[in-house]
Amino acid sequence: MSEKNELLFEMRNIEKIFAHVHALDHVNFDVRKGEVHALLGENGAGKSTLIKILTGVYTKDGGQIFMDGKEIEINSRDDAADAGIAVIFQELSLVPTLSVYQNILLGKEQSRFGFISDRAEKQQIQELIDRYGFPVKATDIVETLSVAQKQMVEILKALAADAKLVIMDEPTASLSSRESELLYKIINQLRDRGVSIIYISHRLEEVFNLSDRITILRDGKNAGVVEKENIVPSEIVKMMIGKELSESTASRELHTSDAEVELAVKDLTHIGAYNHVSFEVKKGEVLVLTGLVGSGRTEVIRSIYGADPYDSGEIIFEGKVIKPSIKRSVANGFGLIPEDRRTQGFSPLLSVTGNVALTSYDKIAKGGFVNKKDEDALGRKAVELTDLRPANPNVKVGDLSGGNQQKAVLGKWLTRDLKVVLIDEPTVGIDIGAKDEIYNIIEGLAEQGVAVLMVSSDIAEVLRVAHRIIVMREGKIIKEFNHGVATQEDILLASSGFVDEKEAA
Amino acid sequence: MKQMRQETLRRIISLVLLVVLIAVFTFTTDTFLSWDNITSMLRECGVVGILAIGITTCIITGGNNLSAGLMLGMVCMVFAHLYHYTALSLIAIILICLLAALAAGAFNGFAVAILQIPDFVATLSTGMVFQGITYILAIRNQYGSITSEMIKNPTMALLGGKLGNGIYYVTIAWVVISLIMQVFLKKTKMGTYIYAMGSNRKSAEYSGISFIKVKMVAFLISALCSFIGALFFLGRYGTNDVDSGSALSLQAISASVIGGAAFSGGRGDMIGTLIGVLFMQVLRNGVLKFNMTTAQQSIISGVIIVLMLVFDAYYNEFMQKRTARAAALAREKEGAGK
Repeated sequence: MSEKNELLFEMRNIEKIFAHVHALDHVNFDVRKGEVHALLGENGAGKSTLIKILTGVYTKDGGQIFMDGKEIEINSRDDAADAGIAVIFQELSLVPTLSVYQNILLGKEQSRFGFISDRAEKQQIQELIDRYGFPVKATDIVETLSVAQKQMVEILKALAADAKLVIMDEPTASLSSRESELLYKIINQLRDRGVSIIYISHRLEEVFNLSDRITILRDGKNAGVVEKENIVPSEIVKMMIGKELSESTASRELHTSDAEVELAVKDLTHIGAYNHVSFEVKKGEVLVLTGLVGSGRTEVIRSIYGADPYDSGEIIFEGKVIKPSIKRSVANGFGLIPEDRRTQGFSPLLSVTGNVALTSYDKIAKGGFVNKKDEDALGRKAVELTDLRPANPNVKVGDLSGGNQQKAVLGKWLTRDLKVVLIDEPTVGIDIGAKDEIYNIIEGLAEQGVAVLMVSSDIAEVLRVAHRIIVMREGKIIKEFNHGVATQEDILLASSGFVDEKEAA
Repeated sequence: MKQMRQETLRRIISLVLLVVLIAVFTFTTDTFLSWDNITSMLRECGVVGILAIGITTCIITGGNNLSAGLMLGMVCMVFAHLYHYTALSLIAIILICLLAALAAGAFNGFAVAILQIPDFVATLSTGMVFQGITYILAIRNQYGSITSEMIKNPTMALLGGKLGNGIYYVTIAWVVISLIMQVFLKKTKMGTYIYAMGSNRKSAEYSGISFIKVKMVAFLISALCSFIGALFFLGRYGTNDVDSGSALSLQAISASVIGGAAFSGGRGDMIGTLIGVLFMQVLRNGVLKFNMTTAQQSIISGVIIVLMLVFDAYYNEFMQKRTARAAALAREKEGAGK
């Protein structure tokens, strides 16, 4: 067994710049032999950029990388693999119609005259599987395996390639608790055999149970490296957020707190996505669902809109139970600003007017013919309402900046008589100036009495626009914060698993 | 419980369809199971079956080859042209035809692998080129149809013949090539790569497998099949009509799909395609005996193909959802047990 504190891998002063933004600013990161090292940080802190550099997807703009004390260059995936670095992808990297051992050997098959002779390898792989107790067989076909088993195959692939450093990015995101337990066991076995692991997870509890050390990134900079023994969770959360910010409190007071309830859901359940979700949104209120990606937030609002089904529970609009379908939702005055605006929000080749008119042809078309004047007026109205720039409704939406594209998507609904608007991650990939304008539009909607139900992972954003905040985890509502009481820490602790449900109730 | 693989279920479905069809025709007509009818059906399978071998290979890589039949037509026409207007020996003509087919196959491979044009569009256009060449070399015969000159060569005529007891050579060639290709696909490195590329191109490429090489190999195999098919075609008919090619492509693609090849890639094999070709032929033959029209027969095979495609599109998604739901329910129980 190797010396306890011997370094395997080190990154020094790593820099990465994207279009004048310092994604990584002199970041240091090292991993010891046989260590589980967790990498933590909020979305956009630079974790994935760092991982992409060390796996050869991006090349660094500055700094040095060392493996076993020798400086190495990683310019491609092959370089990373040669250095003994392996990434456990979610499921991307397996060939579904081939068997487990064929996947592991792919590209490295022994052959005689082109015919595969792999009996020996097949046996070796089966032995490897047995040694670690992986719940798969070498001859299983990958597409018949569960997500957890597929992940095991990825780990096997790394082991078969003699990886010294294995990177796991949110490995438990789609596993059940029993499957996660098995993964933890395997991680511990790997560590005992001297394999080093970089572990990335939003679930702080898990990070605490597994890791030896934790490196925290914030805004592309090092925020600290700590031994797990010497720290408590709330300190880590503070390091992730940054002290100066943790003081800021939510939220705005509801200006019409006695307003009537516009939309309510009761015990809404979609098996596999969310469970017994209940809440109300009043007229003029901004309710934000927050929590980790995959906690079921997006699925809830998609069900409310009628874009996804649900299994049980009720959706109540203006006091009446409704069975949503997209068509009825539009007729009822619902609007959806989807998560991925590029694929779901707008048509890039159509102009602003063309996009805005898509939701309103019922109003501007008579007998199937579009009234061009009305259509143009609609485009101008959207530009005006959202302060879209350039202020020209004939520009193709694909040619606009991210922020203005989002304004065009908002324009699709603002030009109608909205009653409820469902907004999913409205400012992802949008620069700070445009973010503020979008918040103003959302606040403006609420002031006009529209009920706003929003999903967001960006805690600063949540605190900025929400009247009320609901934190979801694993498909359930964990905690609800009224205006003025939540801090960034509270929300982060609740969404990453340190508040248990009883406390929330 | 483990889910049944799409392939396994598809194999069962296609076999059941074939058996049911044979049973129906056997019991409702007297002549269906006669030796003469069986051998003539198997003869009809030959050329389409050989084309389908190449097309299935292309489909497994995640592509297709709409040009295979038109390439066969072109090779026939090149053959006829050289036979009538040059003094080349039969061997030389056959070699030139082989080179022409391989060049055409490489052209397909170039368009798809290097120019990165999607297979459907690429082979639709190259097929037009092949058909154009066929027209250039064609003649108008005394009945006014555009065709090739009749080839009256005893050696070629042999290819259209049969073994003593009635099995045609083309049938034997079809079955033998199918079996060879089955072994190639399942037992060789390149065979595994063909499946890997069709099933998940990214991961195949990350494993160091060349997209260009795999696509090239698939299109060259398909070209070779078009070449062999063309020889048997000429052996039987001695001539080629300019329009026969595209119909052959469509029949062969239909057979592949019925046999379990999925347009999304990574699925299908030669045994399945063999069953698919048999199914198409039995349907055609039995229906003729019922005095059904070609139109009715087209509708039946069309509907079956659509059903197969729908099955392929939804089966895996359906199974995944079911597994995910089961897992979620189990998790619920786990949670409740605490």
